[in-house]
Amino acid sequence: MIPLPILLTALVYSFILSLLAMGFTLQYITLSVPNLAYATIAFASTYLTLTFSLMGLTPYITMPFAFILGGAISFMLYKFVSFLRDRGTSIVGLMMATIVFDLIIYAGMNIYADYLATVFKIYAGSFSLSEFDFKIFSLPAVLFVSGITSISLVAFFTLMLVKTKFGVAMRAVMENYSLASVHGINTEQILSIAWFFVGGLAGLSGSLYPIWFAMDPWVGARMFISIFAACVVGGLRSIYGSLLGGFIIAFSEVVVTYLISIYFPWVWAYRSVTSMVIAAVALIEMPSGIAGLIQKFRGGR
Amino acid sequence: MSLIDLIMDIITFFCIYAIITLSLNFQQGYTGIFNLGLYFPIIVGAIITAYLPGRLAMIVYGIDSKLDFSANNAVVVSILRSKLSSDPLMSVLLLAITLAVVALTCYVLGFLSAYPALKLPADYLALFMLCASESLRVIGMQTDWLAGGVMGITIINPFWWLGGFSYYGMSVFTILATVCIILLYQRMCDSPLGRLLKSIRENELTAESVGKNVNGIKRTTLAFSFMILGLAGVLHAFMMGAVVVGGYTRVDFSFWPWLMMIIGGTGNNIGVFLGTFGLVIMRRIMIVGKHYFWFLPFNVVWFEPILLAIMLMITLVFRPEGILPEKSPSIKDYVRRVLKLES
Amino acid sequence: MVSQTLSVGQNLSSKESRPLLIIDNVSKRFGSFYALQNISLTVPEKSIVLLIGPNGSGKTTLINCISGVYKPDDGKIFFNGKDITGMPVHDVVKTGLVRSFQVPAPFKRLNVAENLLVCGQNNPGEGFLGSLNRQRWRFFEKGQVERMFKVLKTIGLEDKVDTLAGELSGGQLKLLELGRLLMMNPRMMLLDEPIGGVNPVLANKILSHIIDIRNEFGTSFMIVEHRLDIVMKYVDYVYVLSKGNLIASGTPTDIVERKELYDVYLA
Ligand SMILES: Nc1ncnc2c1ncn2[C@@H]1O[C@H](COP(=O)(O)OP(=O)(O)OP(=O)(O)O)[C@@H](O)[C@H]1O
Ligand SMILES: [Mg+2]
Repeated sequence: MIPLPILLTALVYSFILSLLAMGFTLQYITLSVPNLAYATIAFASTYLTLTFSLMGLTPYITMPFAFILGGAISFMLYKFVSFLRDRGTSIVGLMMATIVFDLIIYAGMNIYADYLATVFKIYAGSFSLSEFDFKIFSLPAVLFVSGITSISLVAFFTLMLVKTKFGVAMRAVMENYSLASVHGINTEQILSIAWFFVGGLAGLSGSLYPIWFAMDPWVGARMFISIFAACVVGGLRSIYGSLLGGFIIAFSEVVVTYLISIYFPWVWAYRSVTSMVIAAVALIEMPSGIAGLIQKFRGGR
Repeated sequence: MSLIDLIMDIITFFCIYAIITLSLNFQQGYTGIFNLGLYFPIIVGAIITAYLPGRLAMIVYGIDSKLDFSANNAVVVSILRSKLSSDPLMSVLLLAITLAVVALTCYVLGFLSAYPALKLPADYLALFMLCASESLRVIGMQTDWLAGGVMGITIINPFWWLGGFSYYGMSVFTILATVCIILLYQRMCDSPLGRLLKSIRENELTAESVGKNVNGIKRTTLAFSFMILGLAGVLHAFMMGAVVVGGYTRVDFSFWPWLMMIIGGTGNNIGVFLGTFGLVIMRRIMIVGKHYFWFLPFNVVWFEPILLAIMLMITLVFRPEGILPEKSPSIKDYVRRVLKLES
Repeated sequence: MVSQTLSVGQNLSSKESRPLLIIDNVSKRFGSFYALQNISLTVPEKSIVLLIGPNGSGKTTLINCISGVYKPDDGKIFFNGKDITGMPVHDVVKTGLVRSFQVPAPFKRLNVAENLLVCGQNNPGEGFLGSLNRQRWRFFEKGQVERMFKVLKTIGLEDKVDTLAGELSGGQLKLLELGRLLMMNPRMMLLDEPIGGVNPVLANKILSHIIDIRNEFGTSFMIVEHRLDIVMKYVDYVYVLSKGNLIASGTPTDIVERKELYDVYLA
């Protein structure tokens, strides 16, 4: 059987990954620009978590601050990208613009880690905060916190899309950007809010990450592979598909790799490569992903 | 560091980046293949350089089979050093074999990767390549027997037989190889091939409708630039004398070259060349001069990505076409300069 | 001059020569909408055929099916005795069948000269290895440059040779579309509204040049055009499409007499 820690890892990881994959897809749909800084934005907030923990506070106090930090960065990125887009910059230029942000955040994180190292006399290059966590029913609290956070955020988002005027307008923008602006929808405002919200999601899930996993400055770059794979499996342009894709990728990276490693122990070290393999196969075998499968199933009936 | 060493360091560093940015320009500036995973073939080149020549030399010199090149790296390398120091022929042969194997491997890999990659829209192709490269980096870091894993591995120098000048030997070889590659690219880009690639960049359907096999040509472009990038990986590894796969990051080996190309002028080899030159000098001076910044509470190298970001931002806003924008030759010019005809 | 070429045209009446292009029962759907329904028609060798029909009747779709941009859902297309149904676009070109685009699709950041030169077939300098051997491709290129100047003269863009295609006007872009095809020396050209936006004097000049090409090289043409007043007198045969169906065909004089077709056109 699968041991409990593996199962827990898979669960926490899938809550975090599916939120990230959903956020990435949402940003991609709204501007048609893949945001290369997305994972880095998410993991910037891990240093907030570290700071609070070092000050003797519970890591969970980070969550609102992480939401605001991620949201603010993402909002600024949106402003920059849409400014360039209005000037007719090509898709290559726009992706470069997201790289600009990736680099600044990456450098900022490292500078801050150096600073923490001098102030708290610790090595802040890589760390894990699991010892600051507490237990609920002899299970780590982060499992419940991440699960409840991600389920309630997705529920909130869905309700908003379906029930509110803002949600209707946002769906219109996602469906057809230029048509929506012709119909007098304030696309600028809607997208600003959407990007803030999605950046907040990223910050939030990033802040929970070090409470279970070991953190280092390259997590962003590695995790980006998993996010990409989740979106590919989900169907590139489907929000709920990417949510499912997040679960599939997380479980294959952790549980499937674990099962294989029972027979081939060396496989375990290559967990993060698993997702790339899945992404490559998915791109070749079913380029429209889960969303495409569901559509086919519905169409077939 | 003496002045001559500093100059040599800047020149060889520049050479390797020039190969990378020209290969990038060949893909993006000419053919319009949006590839953020430039460092995939570079890592392949570095890994093969870490794996192959040392082991070949062990076989040739019949070194104790209980020693492993990776596990007993320091011992083996010092033995090989004493052997190769007096065997210039074998040294050069090892260099040639490494280059040939890497060229072939990377060509094939580029060709194969085109099959999934060219099915994707431009933005996802870029992400696919980026993620594939990052995965390869993870594999390299996790696999100790391949290239020493996280700690890296020391490799042979094919110019040990030059004694005190072995470092300069490799530098001079790198410079010569770079000159050849630059001439090769220049010749291709100045020919009808360059025009054909640009036409594909401009409009794939139109290029198809005038009888060009767009996917085939893009595949060959990818394979060819993979091959050259792989060679850059070999040169870089031999220059460093060691391979640390973890060091081949997306910032250093993809984002920096992209900036060099965009600042210089996408689609214009001379512009890209100048952009590379300027930025390499700037970076090397920053790295060499970092001990003047001892008073800061953090390592000054973190300014480097910020500087990169700011320059990229300024270029995107104020001069997206770069310092020397691409220019089509006038027909008179073309007839005179390229065709060398009077009319 | 026009009447003279016209008489030459009618001598080569369509029945005498063998069919070069055969479209056999071709259908094309977009979703559940039939853009083409069971179209069958032929284009004889050395003839100029006109394809007309109201907007949205499927003319461009038919050209896309022939040239390989779309694969027909049903039916077969033969060119020069060869089955070209569903062939990749560049392979269709290799058989000698080329097409122009209704909405001009130039290489925008290349100049007019490059736009035309790149159309040469089997240029030895376009190979990855071939490009390195300058001696080999120089003379081919020289021939191409000479040919290009002839084409430029025909389409009247001599003074634009160094202009980027992205900076040309709409009419000039139409001419460049035609120029590309003229560079390729094909057996047959599919022209999608070749004189749209071109002034009548130049339009007549171009059409009479098309006649000249046909007479000199035996090239066949299928032309889609709305400006019937100009184009009718140059063509040998007319097909009429409506809502994806072939509703009439005949010589220009036949078609002009069938008044009921005017209603279709106006509808
Ligand atoms: N790629 C496509 N997807 C869906 N529908 C299409 C597509 N291409 C064409 N159509 C539809 O097929 C029909 C025929 O279009 P087509 O462009 O062939 O008309 P046409 O005769 O060339 O018209 P025009 O005179 O305006 O050029 C139109 O209703 C058009 O909307
Ligand atoms: Mg049309």
